Amino acid sequence: MSLSKKIVMLGHFGVGKTSLVRRFVDSVFSEDYLVTLGVHVKKKEVEIDGEKITLILWDIEGNTSISKARASYLAGSHGFLYVFDVTRPETFQNLAEEMDFLKENYSKIPVAVVGNKSDLITSEHVEDFFKQEPFKDCEFTSAKEGDNVENVFLKITKQLR
Amino acid sequence: MVEEDRLQLLRDILLIDDREVAHAINQRIEKISETLEKQEKLSEKVNPIIEDRLKVFVSEIPTSLGPVITQTLKDEIENSKERVVEALYPIMGKMIKRYIQNEIKLLSETMNKKVNDTFSVNSFKRKLRAKFTGVKESDLLLTELDAPTISEVFIIQKGSGILLGNHSNTATVDKDMISGMLTAIKSFVEDAFEGGTQNLEAIEYELYTIHIQNFHTYYIAVVISGSYSRSFENKLENKLLKLSKSLSPQISILTKEAIDDILKTHF
Repeated sequence: MSLSKKIVMLGHFGVGKTSLVRRFVDSVFSEDYLVTLGVHVKKKEVEIDGEKITLILWDIEGNTSISKARASYLAGSHGFLYVFDVTRPETFQNLAEEMDFLKENYSKIPVAVVGNKSDLITSEHVEDFFKQEPFKDCEFTSAKEGDNVENVFLKITKQLR
Repeated sequence: MVEEDRLQLLRDILLIDDREVAHAINQRIEKISETLEKQEKLSEKVNPIIEDRLKVFVSEIPTSLGPVITQTLKDEIENSKERVVEALYPIMGKMIKRYIQNEIKLLSETMNKKVNDTFSVNSFKRKLRAKFTGVKESDLLLTELDAPTISEVFIIQKGSGILLGNHSNTATVDKDMISGMLTAIKSFVEDAFEGGTQNLEAIEYELYTIHIQNFHTYYIAVVISGSYSRSFENKLENKLLKLSKSLSPQISILTKEAIDDILKTHF
């Protein structure tokens, strides 16, 4: 028997939501940027402590704010993965407000915050800039190199049970 | 002879030939001028030459211009496919429509012949139905030939789009992804057209129809092939309502396998 859980990818345009999903599900990466229109659904089965969980990943189109995302796409979610681009401040400067919005409207749903494209900055920069609030619990990934991608998805999956 | 006469005689002896030549040249120039200025005379001279050159040119078109024209056309089609399609679409559409109409007519005639020649119980029943309903027997036969069949049934959780159970007569692509995308499409349509509490009830694609019946926490999507008639829709709706009676009270506690088994008994 396998449990199914819906995870919705959130974040601005071009932060790498689709790339993260593709890296996690298909183990591939492409430099070509194709903007996601509407939603793209992907699936991956993972095993946590001997239990099989089917993750249904909703890779929705990017939005400057979660409040602008189609509410029906977020309905029935079991977890959110909020992705920002570590090289583009406009994708994380309103992170605190975005987290407040999720707390207010989806209080029971776990959220993982992910800073993607970590291959484009130095680890010192990550240490210096992203160790303060609201980035304290952020995970940093590189969809291009595959760094930490699987770990991020497995971490949120553990919170879904 | 005086000196003057002698000089004239000498002039005549020396210049007589040149004068004749000059006179002849003058005459020739006048004739050429006349030919050039009068169209009829010019045509007489030039037309045969042009005709000959044209004949040669036409005979050489396939070898000299053929490849160039072909390549130009190929490039044009390649570079402006949409324009070519736009230009051809109305013509092709009409041709296809005419072809299909003709084929249907032929089919109908063949069936009529078959019906008239057959004396089976079914044909007797059909004849009776046709008589009482007023529907042509050939139309009834056509409906029988293209009877709707249920290919797949999906029980999908509302909102999340998670597949709760399914029954399938055919092998299709990943069912979890189908239910996810189906829910996404449904959500989009219901949002986009500001239907409020209205729900998407059917999706048609080529030879298939997806009938969607909504319940409180889940919806049922049924993939049907063949002619999806109103009477079939009514029957299907009743069947799904019956299914929901046994499913709804326990849907939150049933496993996917249990729901699959329930579907098996209904379809």
